[in-house]
Amino acid sequence: MKAVYALYSDPNDVQRAVDGLRKAGIADDDITVISSEPIEDYEFSHRHHETWIHWIAGAGGAIGLALGTGLTSFTQRAWPIPTGNMPIVAWWPNLIIMFEMTMLGAIVATVITVLVAARIPTRAPKMYDPEVADGKILVGVENPSEGSASAIERALMSPGVARLKTIQL
Amino acid sequence: MNEALAQRISSDLLRPVMTTTWRFWLLVAFLGSIVAMGLGTWFYQMYMGFGVTGINMPVYWAFYITNFVFWIGISHAGTLISAILRLVNAGWRRPVTRCAEVITVFALMIGALFPIIHLGRPWLFFWLVPYPSERLIWPNFRSPLVWDFFAINTYLTGSLLFLLLPMIPDFALVRDKTTGWRRKLYGVLALRWRGTTKQWHRLESAMQIMAIAIIPVAVSVHTIVSFDFSMAPVPMWHSTIFGPYFVAGAIFSGIAALILAMAALRKVLHLEDYLHPVHFQNLGKLLLMMSLLWSYFVFAERLTAWYGNESAEVEALLATQKGSFAPLFWTMVVCNFVVPFVILSLRKLRTITGCVVASSTVLVGMWLERFLIVVPSLSHKHLPYTWGHYRPQPVEIMITISTFAAMMLLYTLFAKLVPIISIWELKVGEHPAAAESTAELREHALWKANP
Amino acid sequence: MPHRWGMAVDLDRCTGCGACVTACHAENNIPTVGDAQAARGRAMHWIRVERYWEGEYPDVALKFRPVMCQQCDAAPCEPVCPTYASHHTDEGLNAQIYNRCIGTRYCANACPYNVRFFDFFHPQWPKPLDAQLNPDVSVREVGVMEKCTFCVQRIHAAAIDAKAANRELKDGEIQPACVQSCSARALVFGDLNDPDSEVSKLSRSDRGHKLLDDLGTLPKVTYLNRLQA
Repeated sequence: MKAVYALYSDPNDVQRAVDGLRKAGIADDDITVISSEPIEDYEFSHRHHETWIHWIAGAGGAIGLALGTGLTSFTQRAWPIPTGNMPIVAWWPNLIIMFEMTMLGAIVATVITVLVAARIPTRAPKMYDPEVADGKILVGVENPSEGSASAIERALMSPGVARLKTIQL
Repeated sequence: MNEALAQRISSDLLRPVMTTTWRFWLLVAFLGSIVAMGLGTWFYQMYMGFGVTGINMPVYWAFYITNFVFWIGISHAGTLISAILRLVNAGWRRPVTRCAEVITVFALMIGALFPIIHLGRPWLFFWLVPYPSERLIWPNFRSPLVWDFFAINTYLTGSLLFLLLPMIPDFALVRDKTTGWRRKLYGVLALRWRGTTKQWHRLESAMQIMAIAIIPVAVSVHTIVSFDFSMAPVPMWHSTIFGPYFVAGAIFSGIAALILAMAALRKVLHLEDYLHPVHFQNLGKLLLMMSLLWSYFVFAERLTAWYGNESAEVEALLATQKGSFAPLFWTMVVCNFVVPFVILSLRKLRTITGCVVASSTVLVGMWLERFLIVVPSLSHKHLPYTWGHYRPQPVEIMITISTFAAMMLLYTLFAKLVPIISIWELKVGEHPAAAESTAELREHALWKANP
Repeated sequence: MPHRWGMAVDLDRCTGCGACVTACHAENNIPTVGDAQAARGRAMHWIRVERYWEGEYPDVALKFRPVMCQQCDAAPCEPVCPTYASHHTDEGLNAQIYNRCIGTRYCANACPYNVRFFDFFHPQWPKPLDAQLNPDVSVREVGVMEKCTFCVQRIHAAAIDAKAANRELKDGEIQPACVQSCSARALVFGDLNDPDSEVSKLSRSDRGHKLLDDLGTLPKVTYLNRLQA
């Protein structure tokens, strides 16, 4: 398993490289761009924009709400103990517990989703270069198909490339 | 961005993590010994019986509950700064977010300890956890203390995750820049983060959702803490204003704590290039605004009590304004209103030093405010025969002091293990918003297809 | 018809002698805390005689009011207990389950009558005082709340006797320790659900008032005014 990538300093060069790879027939999902900070102003950052995370957070909240409602009303009915002239299933206080469980559900669902969607932590070796930590931006293709390796290298050899590498993962 | 600048930011902000001086160890030893004494004092209290405190009939809650409310209040620093400023996209928040979120997490942990410390039988605190017990009994969900349990745990979980998620890219940075045991440790903590565009998107979406979710949780937490008081028919407690009043007070004390933490970090870690006077001025203006808001709530509450002429309530009110608690009350007014108003409304005085002075007085004043909510009301309930007074005992004072030391210790240890300023977020802010590249973005065919 | 236990206190008869306080200590295994702790406000008198001075010398009047747990029907101490240690029984009593209490002391703060007490230290009865402990009542440990129970042990004992003898409880058969020891017979105990019981009649008296009844706690102790100030 190998990966071909190049390191750039200027995001404009990165955009050119990505466009070049697309012209060389590489699918968008196979092009990986790695940087040490999110670079919002360029088109290459806006791929993979669609996300289900908002819906999942909402679903997590709904589950939390159900849990909170169940926990309070079920346990209050399981052993009904009268207190202070209040009803056995007291909705005003139960609302507070239901609210907290809803928010907890939404938060936990969000975090789990982000860990899964970002594929972290991951076991498989992945393409990476420590120079990214110095501010370089990596553009590359993991597992290129046999014939495309030279086309990829040509696309990546745009002006401004700091280094071109082929590595074994 | 300019590579040299990026490298300089990295090395500056990683320096406290990478290099350790004897000063660090001395500070840790000093703070650690105070914390150890506090723990010892707590065990002494559990062994000898709760009577070693100053609690009596009728003042059954005093220092520990004051501290509980105080620390939970401090914990609202992070939420305001991180979440609200993140949502309104205020750029000046960037160097400040992690400092604030750390305060939140540690203040919550310390605050959550106090309901256990104040219990008569603290070894049974787990009965507040809703689990199917062999006694077939569940917690009483009508009790504000059970609401506290849920609210604080939700907030702690949320804040912890809110703090940890953006730390992942910084852990990756430390991993890449170190060797040896550090590389292994931070490699594990970084969860194999690489920084692909997909990962950044997911992270930022999650942060957005968390920021939206954590604000109502934070508001609910201190409201629920205020319900510990307002649900009881105690004079000056049973007031509908308590929810908003406490939330305003919490944000107020939280900002003060944040200013102090930032000033300390700036001095000790030499972060003058990252924490600028404008950050302190902006926070100082927020502190002034919260001081005015707090004063408004206090005025509204006291005017209503005085005007309403309900005998028990008036007694409790006068105990603070003219009676034995008057010196503390007027100190609180000076600390929370007069000093911050003078210092923070005059631009010449709104310097870093000015903000630090104002914040220190606010922390003192807000601690006193919690005390003056809890104790005078309990000393003056409805039957005059049962009026009493309270004197703090050494046990309570020692434990109080040790929690301040614990906060500073936890903060020091954190700043040693994690870059206290979020490096990647700072770099994003420094990124010159290149006008041409934005135009180029809009011209790109794919962007036009899916804006 | 279930019972609903209540009390009436005739302030016109009360002399402030304090026999009720002593009897309650003896019956319910309440420790004496010593003068140092009492000076710090930790005395545990489940029933206490409140003493108020009115007027200026020489027109001073001394008023006594025995105050014990009012067993409120809408007790503010009950919903706030996180572990259900304080709850309402179906005979109208506010029960305190010592084993469930974790000592948050919220109930004591919520009680407007301040009739709830906390065990600050482990109760001690130096020998031979431990020989006089009542075996029908538990001894509480440090860190729990306790308060007047209307001598629930006596209520249960009488109920068991009545059931064994296959008869109903008679009015006046159950006497809590304070009621039994009151030399002026100022304290009356009985079933408020029985319209003919003495306590029912007294609770309907013209002289009757409830303590702090504007707070909405629905106390079950009726105080009868003094006939002359």
